[in-house]
Amino acid sequence: MAGASATGVLSQLSLLEVKARSRKTQPQQQSRVKELKAKVEALRAQRDQLKAEIETHKHLQKLRASLDKQSTNEEEEEEEMEQDSEHSQLLQLMARHTQLEDLLYAHHTIGGYDVIKTRQGKGVCVSLATAYDGVFLETYNLEIDLKPTLRISRHNVPPFIPLNSLAEQNNLQTNIRTFLDTLSRHLNAFAARKQQLELVKELHKSVQVMESNVLCSILVLMFNVPKQKTAVLCTLDYSDHTRSLPTRVHFESEDEKLPDSPEWKKNCSLLKETPVHKALITMKKMGNIV
Amino acid sequence: MICVLFSSAARTPTNSVVVERRSKSSKSYRQSYRSCVGAASRLCFTPGFTARRLNASRRAPKSHNVTDKVNPQQLALLMKTEWQLSYVTPLYQFRHTQLKSYSRQLSAFIAAEKQQGLAVEVEGAQSSFRVSISVVQGMVEADDDAETVLIQIHSKLLFAKKDEPQRPVWSGWLTCINGNPDYLRSLPEDFTCLPLFCSSGGEGLTAVVKSWFQQTFDCCFGTLEINHTSLQWLAALWTNCHAESSIQHLKMIWTLPVAPPLQVTYTVDPHDAWQLWSSVRKDPREESKGGEEAEEENSIDIEEVMEFMQGLKGHFYRHFRLDLSAGSLKQVTTALGSAKYSGKIKISNSRYMITTFTLLTECALLKMPL
Amino acid sequence: MDDSTKRLLQRLIRRIPAQTLRTTLEKWGRLTAAQQRSMDFTQPKWALSEKLLAICEENGLTAKHITELEMTNVIDNPNQGMWYAFQLMDPEDDANSIELTQFKEQFKSHLRELVRPVSIKIKKHTDEAVWIRIAWGDSFSRPNHLKPTYVVHHLQTPYVFVTSLTSKQKPLLSQALVLSARYQAIKDANLSGRKLTAIRDLLMRKYQQVFPTMYPSPLGERNQVVSNPHIEKEQAEPAANRLQMACEAFGDGTLPQLQTVVYKLETKFRDHTNKTMTEREEPFSCVVKFASTNLLESLRHCASSGIASTPVTPLLSSILQKGRNYFVITDNGSGPSTQTRQPQT
Repeated sequence: MAGASATGVLSQLSLLEVKARSRKTQPQQQSRVKELKAKVEALRAQRDQLKAEIETHKHLQKLRASLDKQSTNEEEEEEEMEQDSEHSQLLQLMARHTQLEDLLYAHHTIGGYDVIKTRQGKGVCVSLATAYDGVFLETYNLEIDLKPTLRISRHNVPPFIPLNSLAEQNNLQTNIRTFLDTLSRHLNAFAARKQQLELVKELHKSVQVMESNVLCSILVLMFNVPKQKTAVLCTLDYSDHTRSLPTRVHFESEDEKLPDSPEWKKNCSLLKETPVHKALITMKKMGNIV
Repeated sequence: MICVLFSSAARTPTNSVVVERRSKSSKSYRQSYRSCVGAASRLCFTPGFTARRLNASRRAPKSHNVTDKVNPQQLALLMKTEWQLSYVTPLYQFRHTQLKSYSRQLSAFIAAEKQQGLAVEVEGAQSSFRVSISVVQGMVEADDDAETVLIQIHSKLLFAKKDEPQRPVWSGWLTCINGNPDYLRSLPEDFTCLPLFCSSGGEGLTAVVKSWFQQTFDCCFGTLEINHTSLQWLAALWTNCHAESSIQHLKMIWTLPVAPPLQVTYTVDPHDAWQLWSSVRKDPREESKGGEEAEEENSIDIEEVMEFMQGLKGHFYRHFRLDLSAGSLKQVTTALGSAKYSGKIKISNSRYMITTFTLLTECALLKMPL
Repeated sequence: MDDSTKRLLQRLIRRIPAQTLRTTLEKWGRLTAAQQRSMDFTQPKWALSEKLLAICEENGLTAKHITELEMTNVIDNPNQGMWYAFQLMDPEDDANSIELTQFKEQFKSHLRELVRPVSIKIKKHTDEAVWIRIAWGDSFSRPNHLKPTYVVHHLQTPYVFVTSLTSKQKPLLSQALVLSARYQAIKDANLSGRKLTAIRDLLMRKYQQVFPTMYPSPLGERNQVVSNPHIEKEQAEPAANRLQMACEAFGDGTLPQLQTVVYKLETKFRDHTNKTMTEREEPFSCVVKFASTNLLESLRHCASSGIASTPVTPLLSSILQKGRNYFVITDNGSGPSTQTRQPQT
């Protein structure tokens, strides 16, 4: 709720971000030769673009530095950027954009919620943003009636998040802040687990997802050990729903000794401490799984 | 009600060439009806005008013991069937005494049409049709009403055994209940007015029957909807009967012009509907003074009907904040019968059918084309 | 195969849509590739049915296998028959961590304790839904595979969707569900419809909700004919306002295809122009049913076009917010309130 009044720009940024996320491109299929030629072209273009981007980035960083200085030291004079004005204007905007995005991120990280009044002040609408690994995900909303007592009148929190019991446990009436923080932790952890599962499916085609559930609180994976060619069934149990890491990791294999081997013990603690899709990358590199 | 008698009736030549007679006479009797009811332009379709075109006041339904007057077997044929309504302009040189001959003519006509491969498609080629046209004795109300005529078509299998029952495949009837007397009297001689045509059965046969009537009696048919106002009248008239004969429920169906279309079915408890109806009725004692005005005592005004409907819509709006007036009333159903905007009517209780058909006769007379 | 199994197969083949018969049989996976190829799907259903009967005989398939085929078909075509939603109440502490194998075992053993013989099949669908098929029998008869009950449950949610359940079977199923899903009670959720997907999406909040926001919300553009720019401008703000409120009450975009909602009203008749009725003690009873091919979209249009006043009355917005399509409305102190057939939480 902190800074709710000063978030005009921030919310504008949220909007931009939503738009940006919805933009998607689709890959095309072409014949081999054409494909390669196109690839050469694309790479050239990419190189040029990257060069330009580096250039822009340098400018941007300069600008950001000056902007940040400005905001701390108002009377400082404006930098000379008159070389080619339309270009510089755009750069200025971009610099401002990145600055605000950072601010927004900071706002969310320190636990700021977007709150607005509804129905002439008889209620409020709270937005809880979720993010994982720097990527903004679903935003959840709660409409809360203020009188006679605080009451959640409408929301889009999925039914497997125990909203009502969280409201009771955290004493919504007297301590809305604690309630929102707990709810936010639940939602962020859920978003993170869900995103991790998607990433596992996307990045690790050789790993089979045997079982999962809507809350993403249980994940059963099947790996193949390269040399022995044995299969390992790995159960990740996320029994703490406010966390995105499992509380219990369990291996099962035909090779009964395998789970107790020092290598797999290491894997076990790795999976407990690292997001599953990243842990799998490490395990692959170590040659533990295909 | 003020009625202006149109005097051109006498001038209408009845023995001239058919084509000419038709054009002139049809114009005159239509004009005469319009002036009789003193209606505004027919082109106005707003409910307000429609209300004015229909009688603004009508007698409350009395429990008629139709069974006393009409042969119960014949009456049973008219009940429990959903009829599609049409209007018919007056029939020229129609004789109630020649129904036997008409039956034969219509049979032959259907056979001829069938041979030409037109429209008649009823189970297999080998069947032929037997037509019987008869009078429904007693199915009249006022002195000027012409007797109701019932047409039944049975299919007859060519190779059927003698005792095998014939299957009824189509039926229809022409009626006039409480037709406007001034209008009926203004009709030239040799015209019989049975303005309401009810049919039930295959569309092919309906078309053939209509076409035979058109050719034989120089009349024309047209579709007859039961419009918004008439449906509201029926809702009120039927509810009015509840004290004597339970209506079980008052069910109204509205459709609202949204995408996708929304249908609202509003079913009211019969007793509550009747109480609401009673509450909007003007105090009858104020109006009745002495036995002479006993008839007057039971008249129902359009204002009462509108107030009744407004009460129902208001109760609905108070809950749903949704205005039913934005939609259109499509159907009214009670235990006495059901009526649909598309011109379909079903009578489930004979005791009040005279009232219903009085209203429909009036609608048919009004709908006749210019 | 006995006669009843044959009848089961014949009836099933009649039910599976002709266009999907091939894929359904493939998914079933009980025919060899050669057998699958030998089927000529351009043939009429009865011929296919005969052919399939012969193949099943050849492969020695039993009623158990036929029910698998039925389940595959029902899961792929769930929008048939009448589905009723139920809500599990008062979860035990471990309700949220129950997993599939545990649930399966528990459900089967609990139901078998209550009724015998009974045939239970449980299958998890790709969308995390657990599908249960129950063929009921009693002490005098074997499980009747011709009238199975289907139950759909998403673990970790309190919702259960059921079709073809008799009132005699209801308490048995309820008890088995409550015990195996680790809850204390179950109640009728007052939501039913022919489209399972619609009532599921409604309760699982799988539709686009609209909330009041600070920035102009990107609500879907509606096709509106511009008649007069001045009028348009005048009307623009109230119209946008109505649209916003309509979307807040009924959601944005494509909405779950709910087809009906029924209100049983037992409320006082109040009309300041009608003293007699207003002073009447008894409530005015009526039943109001709204029906459309997509009720929520129709109602949204009612509100956005002004046929229904905004803000939308709680009676209508409760459909989404409470996830119900059957309401009994009685007067409760001030103003109308909603009441259920069962006590409401």
